[in-house]
Formats: sequence, C-alpha cells, structure tokens
Amino acid sequence: MSFFHKRRFFVLLIGIIILIALIGYSLNNRENLTTPEKFIQDAVGWVQNVIHAPVTFVTNIFGNLDDLKNTYNENQILKEKLAEYKSLIYEVQELKEDNDELRKTLKKTESIQDFNPIQATVISRSPERWVERVTINKGSQHGIEPNMAVITAEGMIGKVQTVSKLTSTVQLITGFDEFNRISATISREEGKDIFGLIEEFDEESNSLSFKIIEESKKDLEEGELVISSGMGGVFPAGLLIGTVKEVVSDQYGLTRTALIKPAANMYDINHVIVVDRKLQKDDKQNEEQEEKE
Amino acid sequence: MKRLYLPLILFFLMTLEGVALELLPAKLVINNSWIIPHWVFMFLVLIAVYYDLESSHFSVIYGVIFGLLIDIVYTGVLGVYMFSYAFSISIIYGLKKMIHANIYGVLFLGLIGTVLTDISINFIYTVVGMTDMGWGNYFLYRLFPTILANLLFLIVLYPLITKQLVEWRREQINRNRIL
Repeated sequence: MSFFHKRRFFVLLIGIIILIALIGYSLNNRENLTTPEKFIQDAVGWVQNVIHAPVTFVTNIFGNLDDLKNTYNENQILKEKLAEYKSLIYEVQELKEDNDELRKTLKKTESIQDFNPIQATVISRSPERWVERVTINKGSQHGIEPNMAVITAEGMIGKVQTVSKLTSTVQLITGFDEFNRISATISREEGKDIFGLIEEFDEESNSLSFKIIEESKKDLEEGELVISSGMGGVFPAGLLIGTVKEVVSDQYGLTRTALIKPAANMYDINHVIVVDRKLQKDDKQNEEQEEKE
Repeated sequence: MKRLYLPLILFFLMTLEGVALELLPAKLVINNSWIIPHWVFMFLVLIAVYYDLESSHFSVIYGVIFGLLIDIVYTGVLGVYMFSYAFSISIIYGLKKMIHANIYGVLFLGLIGTVLTDISINFIYTVVGMTDMGWGNYFLYRLFPTILANLLFLIVLYPLITKQLVEWRREQINRNRIL
C-alpha cells in the first residue's frame, strides 16, 4: 500500500516540476511559437473554420430576430444620418484632394496613416476568460506579422500576438497589460493635440486608462474621441480607439488619467481587418537595400 | 478505427469550446458572471466512469493530451490546463469506486471535478500573476456559474453517450482477453 502512495506522490511531484518548467518557458515573453505549436494551431484552426460556419449561421438567425424588433426605430435614425453623410462625403473628397496636392508639393507621399488592410474572420475565442484573445483565419502566408494592429469597422480591438502559417491569435485591448502600450492622441485645433499613452485595461471600471503625458490646461470632455497617434512605430495613425468616459487624477495628483470606453464591442467580433502599416515596412526595405549597397 | 472515436469526440468538444461564447446568450456573456466551458473535462469524467477499466488509465492520458492542446490553442500559457485536468481526473478516477455509476453519481463526480479543476487553474494563474481577482469574487462570479453551466452540459451529454461508452468498454475487455 505504501508503495502505491509513494508512487502517486512521485508522479504528482514530476507533474508539478513539468508544470513549472512549461509555465516558465511560455511566460518568457517569447515572440515566436515552436513548430509543434504552430502545427497544432493550424490543424485546430482548420477544423474551427469548418465548425464556425454552421455555428454563426445559427447564432445569426437569433440575432436577426432580435434586430427585426428594432427595425423601424433604427430606420428613422439611419435616414437622418444618411442625409448628414451626403454632405460629409463631398467635404471629405475636397479634403482628400487638398491633402494629396499639399503632399505632392512637399514631396512626401507616404504618411504614418497609410496601411494595407488584410481582411480576416474570427474563428474562435478563448474560453478561458482571463485570457482575452481570439483566433483569426489568416496567418503568415497572408502577410500577417506579430504586433500588427487589428480593427473592426467600429474601432481598434487589439494586436496580433502570435502567428502560425494559416491562423494567428489576436490579443484584445481588454487584455492589454503594461507591456502593451499604445501611443494615442486627442485631436485639438492648431497643434494643441493632447498626447498620451494607453496603458492598460482596468477591470474594475471596464475601461482603458489613457495617461496624459504633458500636463495640459485644456480640460478633457466626456465623449471626446481618442485615436492612435502613430508615434509608437507599431500602429498607424488615425485608428479610433474609444471615447473619453471620465477623467481622474492619479494618486499623487501630478498626472491625470482619462478612462476610455473602447469603441468596438469586444463581444461581437466577426470580421476584422489586420492593419499592415506601410511606412515601417518601407523603412525596413530601404534599410535592407542600403545594407546591400 | 474504433479506438479513434474517443480522441475525435474530445477534439470536437475542444474546438466547440472556442465558439462557446458565441453560442451562449449575449446577456450571459456581458454580465459579470463568467462561464468557463470545461466540456472536454466533463467528457473525461464520463470516460473515467464508463470506459476505464481497473487497469487502464485512458481518462488521465487524454486529460494530459487535451489539456496541453487547450493550453496551446486557447491560452498560450503551457501546462496550466494540462496539469489541472490530469490532476483532477486522476482524483475522480480514484473516487469512482465509491460511487454508483448512475446519473447522480456522475453529477457528483462532475461537481467535484469542476471545482478541483477550476480552482487549480485559478490558483496557478494567481501565482503566475495573470489574475488579481479576490477569492471571494472568484467563488461568486466565476466558480458558481461555471459549475452550474458545466453540470447542465453533463446532464445533456449523459444520455447521448453513456451507452456507447459501455459498449466500447466491452470491446476493450474482449480485446484484452484476446491479447
């Protein structure tokens, strides 16, 4: 009997050692997955691709039934909005032309706003709620690389965490910690923009904390839009992140933090766009060319 | 070929866990209470009770394999689910002799298993520093809804698969005799 107890104890001990070794290995901030991991992700991703279609079909039916109830009210609002947009379109066209001309005269044709969009579909979401990440059906074969920003039509939702051949995982904004900062800005007139860093997601208030770098006298208002500034070098400029919900000062009263409500709904993500920032890539290519020369 | 059925079912359940949040009603998801699907583990409990013989440890082996797969595919932190699943299912495996193999016994084992697994997962995540939820909140908002949801799943799964498992066990015994 005691032999069995000893053996069990021994197995448990080995298990704990393996556990600690594996956790230590995977928490080591590694950028690339090992080959077996990539293979498994691709294999599971393939099956999930197949399963995902009928599941979304069923959930869509229920969603559509819900939508039908609100159709009339929404229609009214949309008609009003449409009238506004018509005039906006004209304005935007003018501005675009203006912008292009000015850029041409400056001989600066690329900006940190430009990006190549890569369309992708979400095929699964981690059932472990501590880990806020989703899997999309595009991988390194389609040109996706780690750290690219991921957006929906509503706004930014996260960044690419790991990439395998056919799938990649996206870390959602709601799972960002202090290692994933986004350089962001609130647009004001005449170069008085407010700059800061989006630092981490605060579980308690359900919002992102936006730390304002320079102490500005300008007061923030509720509902102002926070967009990425492109200064961090990873994300392009002009991606909508969220709206200001509340402004609080930190514990010493020296800096202020704005609580930001993410613009995109994190629980209803289906189609996403992976943002491939043009400028950074071109820089790299230029560097490579220079090295060759 | 028939030996592949169990891993295939487990694999299917694992991929289903990835769309579980879409299947659940939106109100439940956005709500404060967190439901974690441990469907693979629920099936492992059934395997332990209805398929495993005195001498075979399929449930524990599958627990290690599919725990590791869940770690790779869904969380990226290797070892957590693998250890928790293997640890809890081996305790269930040890407990199964004390309990009659009927729906109540299985539900009881499922309850103990879910509690052990989820607490073990949460404990490891807390030690690693991935979570900072207090234990009180954890019990109220995560453990309790998770237990309810998973037992519900077990009740649905039980009539669908039990007979088949018993059948497969008979074949397993026959195979052993021939060997």
